[in-house]
Amino acid sequence: MTETEIVTSLCPMYGSRFGYALSNGTVGVYDKTSRYWRIKSKNHAMSIHAFDLNSDGVNELITGWSNGKVDARSDRTGEVIFKDNFSSAIAGVVEGDYRMDGHIQLICCSVDGEIRGYLPGTAEMRGNLMDTSAEQDLIRELSQKKQNLLLELRNYEENAKAELASPLNEADGHRGIIPANTRLHTTLSVSLGNETQTAHTELRISTSNDTIIRAVLIFAEGIFTGESHVVHPSIHNLSSSICIPIVPPKDVPVDLHLKAFVGYRSSTQFHVFESTRQLPRFSMYALTSLDPASEPISYVNFTIAERAQRVVVWLGQNFLLPEDTHIQNAPFQVCFTSLRNGGHLHIKIKLSGEITINTDDIDLAGDIIQSMASFFAIEDLQVEADFPVYFEELRKVLVKVDEYHSVHQKLSADMADHSNLIRSLLVGAEDARLMRDMKTMKSRYMELYDLNRDLLNGYKIRCNNHTELLGNLKAVNQAIQRAGRLRVGKPKNQVITACRDAIRSNNINTLFKIMRVGTASS
Amino acid sequence: MDLILNRMDYLQVGVTSQKTMKLIPASRHRATQKVVIGDHDGVVMCFGMKKGEAAAVFKTLPGPKIARLELGGVINTPQEKIFIAAASEIRGFTKRGKQFLSFETNLTESIKAMHISGSDLFLSASYIYNHYCDCKDQHYYLSGDKINDVICLPVERLSRITPVLACQDRVLRVLQGSDVMYAVEVPGPPTVLALHNGNGGDSGEDLLFGTSDGKLALIQITTSKPVRKWEIQNEKKRGGILCIDSFDIVGDGVKDLLVGRDDGMVEVYSFDNANEPVLRFDQMLSESVTSIQGGCVGKDSYDEIVVSTYSGWVTGLTTEPIHKESGPGEELKINQEMQNKISSLRNELEHLQYKVLQERENYQQSSQSSKAKSAVPSFGINDKFTLNKDDASYSLILEVQTAIDNVLIQSDVPIDLLDVDKNSAVVSFSSCDSESNDNFLLATYRCQADTTRLELKIRSIEGQYGTLQAYVTPRIQPKTCQVRQYHIKPLSLHQRTHFIDHDRKGEGVFKSDNISTISILKDVLSKEATKRKINLNISYEINEVSVKHTLKLIHPKLEYQLLLAKKVQLIDALKELQIHEGNTNFLIPEYHCILEEADHLQEEYKKQPAHLERLYGMITDLFIDKFKFKGTNVKTKVPLLLEILDSYDQNALISFFDAA
Repeated sequence: MTETEIVTSLCPMYGSRFGYALSNGTVGVYDKTSRYWRIKSKNHAMSIHAFDLNSDGVNELITGWSNGKVDARSDRTGEVIFKDNFSSAIAGVVEGDYRMDGHIQLICCSVDGEIRGYLPGTAEMRGNLMDTSAEQDLIRELSQKKQNLLLELRNYEENAKAELASPLNEADGHRGIIPANTRLHTTLSVSLGNETQTAHTELRISTSNDTIIRAVLIFAEGIFTGESHVVHPSIHNLSSSICIPIVPPKDVPVDLHLKAFVGYRSSTQFHVFESTRQLPRFSMYALTSLDPASEPISYVNFTIAERAQRVVVWLGQNFLLPEDTHIQNAPFQVCFTSLRNGGHLHIKIKLSGEITINTDDIDLAGDIIQSMASFFAIEDLQVEADFPVYFEELRKVLVKVDEYHSVHQKLSADMADHSNLIRSLLVGAEDARLMRDMKTMKSRYMELYDLNRDLLNGYKIRCNNHTELLGNLKAVNQAIQRAGRLRVGKPKNQVITACRDAIRSNNINTLFKIMRVGTASS
Repeated sequence: MDLILNRMDYLQVGVTSQKTMKLIPASRHRATQKVVIGDHDGVVMCFGMKKGEAAAVFKTLPGPKIARLELGGVINTPQEKIFIAAASEIRGFTKRGKQFLSFETNLTESIKAMHISGSDLFLSASYIYNHYCDCKDQHYYLSGDKINDVICLPVERLSRITPVLACQDRVLRVLQGSDVMYAVEVPGPPTVLALHNGNGGDSGEDLLFGTSDGKLALIQITTSKPVRKWEIQNEKKRGGILCIDSFDIVGDGVKDLLVGRDDGMVEVYSFDNANEPVLRFDQMLSESVTSIQGGCVGKDSYDEIVVSTYSGWVTGLTTEPIHKESGPGEELKINQEMQNKISSLRNELEHLQYKVLQERENYQQSSQSSKAKSAVPSFGINDKFTLNKDDASYSLILEVQTAIDNVLIQSDVPIDLLDVDKNSAVVSFSSCDSESNDNFLLATYRCQADTTRLELKIRSIEGQYGTLQAYVTPRIQPKTCQVRQYHIKPLSLHQRTHFIDHDRKGEGVFKSDNISTISILKDVLSKEATKRKINLNISYEINEVSVKHTLKLIHPKLEYQLLLAKKVQLIDALKELQIHEGNTNFLIPEYHCILEEADHLQEEYKKQPAHLERLYGMITDLFIDKFKFKGTNVKTKVPLLLEILDSYDQNALISFFDAA
């Protein structure tokens, strides 16, 4: 599962549940792979901790915030059951028997050094740690609801009144009265770009009559710098349609929550049209005409027991195809171009249900296979794959890993030598000192100093070597993951285990074979 | 003795304006009183509390928005006649709800403020003040700036009629007949006036006023001149004052001061031996407090503070304890009351929900027809856009009667949005499209549930002017949004003082100590003139001494800031010394002082982190502008100037200005 921002901390909660915090101020709880709840604050969660504050036998998620707030939230609903305030940011939240009286406390510490301990609530409080005026709050909440409903009712009444009045005129526009049958159309398409704009996915929003769109707010996760994107045309360029370029950085399906402010040019009040559009997973790929020359040499090949029509449906759902696209029955072939780097993607389907996907991007191939697998509910899928360019790179990486390993060993040996030398030098210097041979002592210490410097340099080299090694090992690991993602179900696990074994036995050729055909044995 | 007050919500009506709720005097001391309140729907509602339930005495039909509600009656009898001001009409009701007066004034604008004393009626619209006696026009005054409130010193005690107007231009205007007797300059735009102790204090001339930047003061209005008694600064940066009342809630025989602010703060001040006010109690409600009065509503013999809020809640802060020490059976009864209330509310909600669903369907159906129109529901936005003198920023406060869903902020000039502690909304800055230069800032505030009030802080750049727009979308169906515009003025960081240029026909003369101000004025005037194709001649005189004068004006501030920065730097080192050495006897007194004031200093420093930078910026601007008038560009010399500022010495700076 992927989150929208950098995960800053995790903590186990209860059973299979765990809490998490993101760098953008989100905290929440997952149960296995599904999210129970999350909340987002403008402050940052500095520390999260699981603690049973209300003594109900289930841990709550305790969060210490950057503005000095501490809150305890129910693991199931995210409802705040307790809160407190510090005068400065929270540094950490822990638990322990701080006063040595046998009671485990929740302990919060602020960056200013203020520490507060909280004992769990007693059973008599029945989990009610907040103010005793819970009933008052409930009444307030219900009254507010009532007021909102009354307001809504009145809105409809006023609307009915407005309808009875004269036909639409200029003044109405000012007050924000628009024809009731105004509709908002949204279309997503692929734009290949021009000199001024790079290629992008285009969202086009238009109204069904002469009303104008004053502004559009798009709330979506992970595709804009913040959580929202605003389009606010200048007063001279207002029209009934707006085109918004969108460039999703990753191939993931994104829900776009749109809010369009619709009215007239002089309006001070606008109707808010809300709608949600899903941006398909592979929206950054444009359908292009067949060109056998552009076919990438890398491919994956597999067979599925589905009719070609179903594959066409899958294509329609996951790619932005032009409206007039008509795909004939199997066998057929479609070509796409990536809007990000211009790479090509060919998908071929034979009558037998054999599918070949040509792309140089191994991640893309993996994404397509995973997407198909979930769409067709395929449990196990064995795939034949070949990515010569990528494999060549991987081979180089593996060679490098070997090199770094040997360098590492050599450096370690050097260090051992040096430390022996140090010992003898030190003994020599001390002897010289005891014998009051200051000259020898000085020269011994000078040597020692030089040796120390060498050691330091050696350490630096070792450090760099180590980071490089780690980086390369990460790349190898990623390669195994990628090879796994090309398969589904049992074959996927087999590939990953077999690859690990191959690495362990340092059998590079077997590794590539596994990646290609999925098993070690032929 | 600590003052402990418990919150009790009584009832919710429609949106209310400032000073629209009153308690009707009771027949005997500490008996329960009736509450009368008027809202924006034009409904006057009078109710009393019976067994924890609000029981209506009367309720009028909807009409124009009610701007004020006051009680009146024959002088020296109980003031229990209800007067409301709605649009340009004054209506009077008896306490039983019988209308006895309907007086259509000749004012063209709608009435904003009202004061009643016997048969004298003092009214003000935005700029016009009128005095009526027995509904006959007596006196008239046209004010230069908006009138926020009007009051008259107690006629029965002074035997003269002295109306006072609170005007937006930071002036209290004391009238006599149709003329201004004198004007009193006050520290902020006054928003509310009240008689001290409810009767004008010992002299009968003592007047309390509150300002929109949160200051509170007492002033004596004598026949010849004003006498300032005391003034409370707004150090905690709380909201503007909307209502004041005098009531002995502490129970020490002296009337205390009850204050309601527009950020939801309710405060109680009592008076010490020197008759100076001391804060005794404060509580935060979540929305603007529009009216406040002390009395007894929930239960007899328990005093309380009754407040009304912007969205129409009538709430009591009562001395009645929540946990009663009583027999076991009684507690059950209280719970039962609550439960009944909750279940009846639930029933009502269910019924309403059903109705709303039906209406929703109708609405959907109507949208199928091609002839039908769809109107946006209008909702009121209570907004305030003010300059904070202390940190040279603007605060924009938006308040809506229902929860806000999101707010879009758009600006066509570069501005910074600053973080506000009270504001819990998630802000997200959007990239501005390059095609149009109209957007310098696009930001969305997504509000947490139940946010009805949003406070934003904006820092503008002096000289850059334009418009800030806020699109407010509340959580009501059908979804709508309203746009509000605020002007960011060229001299956005100037507060009005009381010497202004004088205009002659077709000619304006502007004088300022600060050359930067003149420079901005010149730029703006010529830009506007070009836009309207007016031929404009600008001539200017620069007095060399003025630069020195401005530098001298800045000097104490700069020196103070530098000193503060230096002291704060030392604190950590000194503290460590203190810990290591065990005592601090060896330190010189200056360092002793720093150690003692450490917390205070740090706090002060934290409050104004960018102050020094702003002062530096001001001096740099001044330097550039001085030479701009001479026609030379000195931008290259700015780094040198900054160097001099870093090792600040007044004389060195002045000589640098002279030499360059």
